[in-house]
Amino acid sequence: MDELKEELGKYRCEESRINNLNELYVDCSQSNIEPIAVLLKNQYKLKFIAEFCMDTGKEDKFKISIVFTNSKESYFVILTYTTVDILVSMQNTFSQAHLFEREISDLFGLSIDGGSDVRHSVKHEIWDAKAFPLRKGFPYKGKIKENHEIPNYEFKRIVGNDAFQIPVGPIHAGIIEPGHFRFSVIGEDIENLEIRLNYKHRGIEKIAENIDANKLNLLFERVACESTLAYGEAYALLIEKMLNFKVSREIQSLRVALLELERLYNFLQDVSGICVDVGFSYPAKKLSYIAEIIKQLIERVTGSRYARNSIVPMGSNIDFSQENKRNILDTLGGIRNRIKLIADVTLESFTFLDRVENTGIVKNNIAKKLMMTGVVGRASGVDYDVRKSFPYEIYGDIKKTNNIEHIGGVFERYKLKIAEIDDAFKFIEMALSNIDNEIKKNRPIIELEKGMEAISIVETAKGELMVYGKMGENNKFDRIYFKTPSFTNWKGLTIAVLDEIVPDFPLCNKSFNMSYSENDR
Amino acid sequence: MKLILDRIKNGIETIKDPLGENVYSYGRIEVDSETCNLCGLCEKECPVNAISIMDGKLEMDSRKCIFCKLCIDVCPNDSLEMTHDYKISAIEELREKIRREVYSTFQRSLTLRAVDVGSCNGCFLELSAIGNTYYDMSRYGIHIAASPRHADGLIVSGALSINMKEALIKAYEAIPNPKIVIALGACSYDGGIYKDGYSVIQRVDEVIPVDIHIPGCPPSPAAILEGVLKIMKNK
Ligand code: SF4
Ligand code: SF4
Repeated sequence: MDELKEELGKYRCEESRINNLNELYVDCSQSNIEPIAVLLKNQYKLKFIAEFCMDTGKEDKFKISIVFTNSKESYFVILTYTTVDILVSMQNTFSQAHLFEREISDLFGLSIDGGSDVRHSVKHEIWDAKAFPLRKGFPYKGKIKENHEIPNYEFKRIVGNDAFQIPVGPIHAGIIEPGHFRFSVIGEDIENLEIRLNYKHRGIEKIAENIDANKLNLLFERVACESTLAYGEAYALLIEKMLNFKVSREIQSLRVALLELERLYNFLQDVSGICVDVGFSYPAKKLSYIAEIIKQLIERVTGSRYARNSIVPMGSNIDFSQENKRNILDTLGGIRNRIKLIADVTLESFTFLDRVENTGIVKNNIAKKLMMTGVVGRASGVDYDVRKSFPYEIYGDIKKTNNIEHIGGVFERYKLKIAEIDDAFKFIEMALSNIDNEIKKNRPIIELEKGMEAISIVETAKGELMVYGKMGENNKFDRIYFKTPSFTNWKGLTIAVLDEIVPDFPLCNKSFNMSYSENDR
Repeated sequence: MKLILDRIKNGIETIKDPLGENVYSYGRIEVDSETCNLCGLCEKECPVNAISIMDGKLEMDSRKCIFCKLCIDVCPNDSLEMTHDYKISAIEELREKIRREVYSTFQRSLTLRAVDVGSCNGCFLELSAIGNTYYDMSRYGIHIAASPRHADGLIVSGALSINMKEALIKAYEAIPNPKIVIALGACSYDGGIYKDGYSVIQRVDEVIPVDIHIPGCPPSPAAILEGVLKIMKNK
C-alpha cells in the first residue's frame, strides 16, 4: 500500500493519507480521476467495489469517493474528488458503475457526464424531480412531494415477430418483497430480463445521519432482516475501527457463533426454496422446518428470533452462559446428520438434478464484470470471501479456504449453500470452544469525534457488505453509506435467466435469493 | 426410502398448539407504577417515541414499540419489565363494527394478498414462517393468494414508501368487497424506525383503512397467527 501511495503521488494527486491501517485515501481532481481509476484497475488489478457521494456543506460542493479493494493484501483505496454539479461517469471503465451513478444523481442532483445509462433509479414517476433528499439542504423529516414529474422508465425492448413482453410485479404472487420484472420472450426463451427496483426505498442513509451513534445499530439491523447480525457486526466493526478497539476473544467468538447461526438458517431456507421450485416437497418442508428450529434456538439465546440488538460496538448486549452454549450444541447436534441425509437424497435424485444442472449459468468472466459477490459469485468461480480476505473477529484463525465452484449454475449455487451450511456447523463449534466463562451483558457508551471516518466490511449470507461512515457533530454521523451485496448481484440474475424458459425463472431466482430491502435501502 | 425412514423417525413435527406460552419471546412491556417516578428517561431513550408521559401517567404504545429494550436498560428504578405476552394485537375500534357485519363471510377461512410497502423484510419472513410445518397456517384456513382478485383482504408490512403507494392502492381496489386489511409490525403502524425517512410519506392507514395492527418488530409467527385468527373469530 505504501508503494502505491508513492506511485500515485506522481499523478499530481493533491494529497493522500493512510487511515485505520488499511485505508488509503487519495484526493484527486475531476480531470485526473478517470485515468487514475483506470490505472488502479488495469495495472494494480484493484477491484472497484463502490462509489458514493457526500455533501460537504460548503458552497454546494460534493465529494465523490470511489472505493477499490486489494483482497490479497486486505486494504482499501479510496479515490476522491470534489465537484459542484457534475459526476464523471465511469461507465466505460466499470460495467456496473451506472448503478452507483444513477443513485448519486437521483439523491444528490448531480448530472452524469459521459454515461450511456442515465435513467432514474431511486426516483420513480411519482417523485418531485427537484427534490434531492441526501443534500444537507433537504431538511431531515422533510418528505418528498408527489408531483408525478419523472418521465416513464424506459425498459429495453426486444422487437420482432414472435417477441412479447411479460411484466411481473411490483407485487408478486406470494410472500415476496416488491420489484418489477420485465421479461422479453421469443417463443419460450427469455431473451432479456430487466429488473426495476427501489420500490422499498426508505431513505435509510438520511435517517442514519440523524440517530445518535449509541442507537444506530438498531437502524443498521433493519436494513435487511435476514442479515440482522451481519449488519450489526458491520456497525460494531465500523465503530471499533474508528476507536481502534478490540473486544475480548470470548466476545469475538460469541459474535462469530451468532453470525454463523444466521448464515445457517438463511442457507437452509435458500436450499429449501430451491427444492420448492423443483417441486421436491419433502426436503423443502423439512429444511424449512429445521430453519425454524434454528430461529427458535436464536430466540432462546438472545431473546429475539433474529438476534436483534445483540451485537453492539465494544461489547455484547446479551448475557451468554454455559447453559446457552450447551443449548446451541445440543440443538445443532440433533439436526446436523439429518440435514446431511436430506441433502444427500436430493443430490441422488435424477429428477432433481435434471432441473438444476446446467440451468441459470453465469460465466466466470461475466460474474467478475458484474462484481458478483458471496455464494453466487463463488459459484461462478470468483474466489473471494470477506471472511478470508478481510478477516474479522476470529475468522482469521478458523476460515482457511473458500468454498468454490466453477460452472456458475443453479446446481453450483445449491451445492455451495450446502457447503456453507456444513461450514457453519464447524465454525459454531470452534467458536463456542473458545467460550469458557460467562459473558455478561455490557454496552459501553460510544463517544465519537467529528471527522472520524472508517470503512468496515463483512460477509453476509448474500455476499460482501461494505459500510463507510464519517462522523459529524453531536455524536451523529455526517454520512453513512452502504454498499450492499444485492446491489450488484441482482444483475447476475438477469444474465442467469437468458435463454432459459420462463418457468425456470423462479428456480434461478431462488438460487440467487437476493434481498430487495438491502438493495433499495 | 431414506425419506420414509426420516419421516418415521421424526414423526409429526407440526405442533398442536402454536399459540401456547413462549417464555423466550419478547412481548408487552409492563410498567410498575409504584416504583416509576416519571423521570422521563425512557421516554427520551425510545427510538420510536412509543413511550409518552402524560397527566402523571406513563403510556406505552405497543403498536409503535420495536422491542429493543433500551427503555428497560435506561430505567434507574427497574420499573419496566418485558413480559412474554405476545398476544397484543387489537382490532381497531372503528373497524370492529364493520368486521362484525362481514365476519360471516370469512367464517372458516381467510385468503390474503401479501403486500410489502417498504419493510426490512422481517415481517414477511415471519409471515412465511407461519406457513412452515411447525405452525402450519393452512389448518386454520389461512392462505396467501396469488392474485388480489382471489383474496379476502390484504396483509401489509413495512413503512409506506412513496414508490409503493400506487401499487398498494391498486391492490386494495382489486380485492372484492368486503375486504379486511391486516397490518404487520411497527412500520406499518406509523413508519416505525423509518418514519422520519424522506420517502416514507404517509402512514398505511392514511391510504387504506386498517382493521388490525399486529405489533412487533417483527411480530413472531405465533403473534401473527393469533392476530389473524382474531379477525376470523366468530363473535
Ligand atoms: S422497547 Fe424500545 S421501542 Fe419499545 S418502548 Fe422501549 S425503547 Fe421504545
Ligand atoms: S416492523 Fe420491524 S421487522 Fe417489520 S418491517 Fe418494520 S423494521 Fe422490519
